[in-house]
Amino acid sequence: MEGKIIDHLFRHQHGKMVSVLTRIFGFEHLETIEDAVQDTFIQAMNSWRKQMPENPEAWLMRAAKNRSIDLFRKIGKDKDRDSQFNNGPSAIALSEMFLDDEIEDSQLKMIFTACHPLLDPKDQIAFALKTISGFSRKEIAAALLSKEDNIKKRLQRARKYIVKLNLQFEIPVGEELNVRLDRVMEVIYVLFNEGFQSLKKDKLIRKDLCGEALRLCKILLNKKALQVPKLHALFALLCFHSSRLESKIGPNNEIINLADQDRRLWYFPLIAMGNDAMNKAVENNVKMSSYHYEAAIVSEHLRASSFEKTNWTMILKWYLELYALQPTENNLLNISIVQIQLKQFDEALKSLTNINQAKLQQREYLYYATFAEYFHHQGEVVKSIHHIDRALELVKNESERDYFISKKNSYQNKNARD
Amino acid sequence: MKDFMLLFIGSDYVTQGLSPEEMQARMGKWFAWNDKMQAQGIVKHGEALQSTGRRVTGENRTVTDGPFAESKELIGGYYVISVADYDAAVEVAQDYPDYDLGGKVEIREIMVFDQ
Repeated sequence: MEGKIIDHLFRHQHGKMVSVLTRIFGFEHLETIEDAVQDTFIQAMNSWRKQMPENPEAWLMRAAKNRSIDLFRKIGKDKDRDSQFNNGPSAIALSEMFLDDEIEDSQLKMIFTACHPLLDPKDQIAFALKTISGFSRKEIAAALLSKEDNIKKRLQRARKYIVKLNLQFEIPVGEELNVRLDRVMEVIYVLFNEGFQSLKKDKLIRKDLCGEALRLCKILLNKKALQVPKLHALFALLCFHSSRLESKIGPNNEIINLADQDRRLWYFPLIAMGNDAMNKAVENNVKMSSYHYEAAIVSEHLRASSFEKTNWTMILKWYLELYALQPTENNLLNISIVQIQLKQFDEALKSLTNINQAKLQQREYLYYATFAEYFHHQGEVVKSIHHIDRALELVKNESERDYFISKKNSYQNKNARD
Repeated sequence: MKDFMLLFIGSDYVTQGLSPEEMQARMGKWFAWNDKMQAQGIVKHGEALQSTGRRVTGENRTVTDGPFAESKELIGGYYVISVADYDAAVEVAQDYPDYDLGGKVEIREIMVFDQ
């Protein structure tokens, strides 16, 4: 019987139910609402134990709807219930709130509120994981490498500010939609990278975070007004990255370099989905977003059957265009790495000297490793060893450390041969 | 064959702060256990109980509203199974899913009155 329930059904239903009930009762009752939703799951656990309902999703929604009647009583909105739903331009009957379209709509409104630019970015991620993705505080703490107490504070702060700033539970329109969508996409991007890039998490948490980011993207893309090129491009980027998740993480949760990844582990259905989204993203010669370029770069990597067959010329082209749009130190570092691959050493040196390495923060070690590689190709053994040592001092990831040690040996061996 | 009641005590989900994901996983374990017992044909009956309720006490039949016990002492549900002896019942109880939440299983033989 176990197989009958879709993976993550409860988690995803949680987001839907909380969103609908928040739309009905308002943010000031969010905690009561979350408790009520929790109750419906407990109810489900007990009553499904012997007999699963035909349609678990519908069962849960119906339970949530029945709970909302209890909530009216509890919250004391009984009196103005009629006036609230039968008057005004947004008048909508309670039962209609639980129709599929309206549920989706409520969920979108929750996403836009959680990603409101007036909220602290760190609070946003925690809040989105709680309300939309149904993570517990403990799960959020594990996902964000934080303490449960901190998460509790962040959630409280987000809830407080939403009420205090009177943030509207709505999908913005017109130009505001465009601006707000950018922020929503940033949050999804960061959420994804929390899963994809972090060095310390286990595979399950990574998959959960990446999966949630993909799911949020899909929820947005279901809405016609949001089917814009940059969102298609972000979705493509997340699909392309996700397809490599299995090959990127080794048996001990270590990150495996692109050059050493087993390309047979790449998941092709996701690549196909990404390609499909990418085609939509570039229709009608649209203005490219940073997500377009990032997706194009990953797709070049996915196209190569081995690391040696990587089309570095195309990748450099995309990186240069990305850098023109987003002149960050990180992008410049990536450019220099590609330039070395292409043996454009003068250009590589120019890129490297233009980098303010302090701004790279936890990626600073890569700056020294790249410089070491540059000097190695210039035949400057002492300088290459000096720089790889600097990189070794700063690098935290074990597999990367091993990689640098093997690099250092090869630099030294070259010295011995000369 | 004798009938035994397995009483599930403690592990009140309300106070455990389980996430939806954890609850779904736990539910899967309950299903698996139930399926296993059904396949063996040993389950006669079983239900989960609400954590609240009413209690009638005293000569005046005073009615009070529950819950009546600490959540760790609360009976959350039961199964009646038909197996050879206590050892077999204990064996069945191995698969109870909530030991890690502090839950426990009490096994009581159902009394049979001689005619």
